[in-house]
Amino acid sequence: MKNRNRQHYTSLTGGIVLAASLLPAIGFAADDTKAKPTPPAGGGIAQEKTVPVIVSGKWTGKRLPDGQPDISGDWSNTIANHNNFTDPQGRIPGEPDRPGVKRKELGPRAERAPSRVSDPVDGQLPLQDWALAKVKEFQIGFHNPVKQEHVEPLARCAPAGIPKSFYWHGYEIAQYPHYVVFFFNSGTRIIHLDGKPHLPSSIKLWNGDSRGHWEGNTLVVDVTNQNGKALLGRSGEFLSENARIEERYIFSPDGQRYNYVATITDKDVYTRPFTVTIPARKWTANDKPNGWHFEVEKANSPQGNYEHYERICTENNGGFGLGAASPTK
Amino acid sequence: MNSTLNRHWSPLYLVVAMLMTLSQPTLASEKIPRLANGKPDFSGIWQTTSAANDDLEPHSNRKDAPPSAGIIEGGTIPYLPEALEQKKRNFENRETLDPARKGWTLGVPRAVYYPAPFQIFQRQADLNLVPQFGHSVRTIHTNGSGHPTDPNDWWLGDSRGHWEGDTLVVDVADFNDKTWLDSAGNFHSDALHIVERWKFLDKNTIDYQATIEDKNVFSRPWNIEVILYRHREKNFQLIEDYRFTLDYDQFYPPKPETK
Repeated sequence: MKNRNRQHYTSLTGGIVLAASLLPAIGFAADDTKAKPTPPAGGGIAQEKTVPVIVSGKWTGKRLPDGQPDISGDWSNTIANHNNFTDPQGRIPGEPDRPGVKRKELGPRAERAPSRVSDPVDGQLPLQDWALAKVKEFQIGFHNPVKQEHVEPLARCAPAGIPKSFYWHGYEIAQYPHYVVFFFNSGTRIIHLDGKPHLPSSIKLWNGDSRGHWEGNTLVVDVTNQNGKALLGRSGEFLSENARIEERYIFSPDGQRYNYVATITDKDVYTRPFTVTIPARKWTANDKPNGWHFEVEKANSPQGNYEHYERICTENNGGFGLGAASPTK
Repeated sequence: MNSTLNRHWSPLYLVVAMLMTLSQPTLASEKIPRLANGKPDFSGIWQTTSAANDDLEPHSNRKDAPPSAGIIEGGTIPYLPEALEQKKRNFENRETLDPARKGWTLGVPRAVYYPAPFQIFQRQADLNLVPQFGHSVRTIHTNGSGHPTDPNDWWLGDSRGHWEGDTLVVDVADFNDKTWLDSAGNFHSDALHIVERWKFLDKNTIDYQATIEDKNVFSRPWNIEVILYRHREKNFQLIEDYRFTLDYDQFYPPKPETK
């Protein structure tokens, strides 16, 4: 029986040895990259170091029959993965040296992509003191977890949530009348465009509950009903279940780029609202498949188009799923 | 004059209108939703009312299921002798072995008749089936492509559809052996092959039929049929149900120390 699914590697770089003590209880993500050292910053994921300017305005490009700007297709962030939220092309905070692994010097901060935090302008998250202490604890614990809380939920195949889904592998955006749907590597997000009210606030979800509308070239989405469980990265920042996220997906006139600009208001964890900016580019049939950004296979058809194979994680997760399906046992 | 005539004749108009309404079922095929290319449009949120997920076969009531006549043409599954023994073991241990109890992918066809809503997002080239339960997304390709020439063994198999009139016929192959067909332990091997037939009975009802074959487990192909109803409740929507995370949900997010 063959199985070469690539969706189950939740890349726990840094985190494999560490979890030995937790393994019997919680298990661990099966990881086909675990024997390899952490790639250098970006490691092929980084496509660029800057964020292009894209302004909100009229949409002049192609439209779908229902009137939506046609932005369907495969997309991926251009900067980095979730190793480090505020220094995206830096290292995982607190990452210890590994014997025999020579790491490239990072050089000055200014030579790397800017923080994903675009407001405040210093690029730092306005964490409350208690929350900052928790983040620092995680940044130590991540490399040698002694508590369940030190394990990155994504390593357990949990959905990456918001905003991390936008810098965790490439994803497909599909559009239908009344919907924009994100097919992420680690879950699905349905944006409702029909103006229905949000779910009752007692319902808490990994991907929240999303209501959107188009303003010219910009998809504006209001997200509530967060469960706050998905971390922002391996750097440990987090939201509470009372976070409210106002997202603006601002598409370039040629439809090949967009900037994700989200204002997050969370009085339980932060001292003020802050803004997250993540640049993304489109991947098309003209691009070669890419194991991070563009996980596609050639279809068995004369057109030779690309298609996605199934996205699976928890079931293939040797430690958690198959080895310790019921940690309460 | 005219108004008098109208009043006089209106009961007859009413009768005619009623007759036309009564004859609508024969015209149902003209009223179903269609894509721009004329093919039936199954977009919407669907769910069965059957007890198929409890047990595809006829069964009396039991602690974890209501009684049901089952959904199998001919009544029972034609297991090979050894496979029948496996099925019995599965049934005995269903509480711990059923993949759905772990929140795992339901697979095909189980996700169709699992008692929770699923949403179909349909385009000309494909249908994406998003079950509320779990995390999986099943794509049925309707762009004329075939099964991959070098396939994986997938949890959901590989689905290629084509249209026969207004019926969507889907060939599903390249499975692994890890999903169950229901919570009673009915199972399959990685040789599972399914042919599904999806068609509208009316705009809010789908007739779903499937032929199931697996030479390692069954002595012959067998057929199931369920009816799927459209969710029409006001503001109805899927609510994500990633229940495989429940065992560790308690550890996140960090909270302030309580004094």
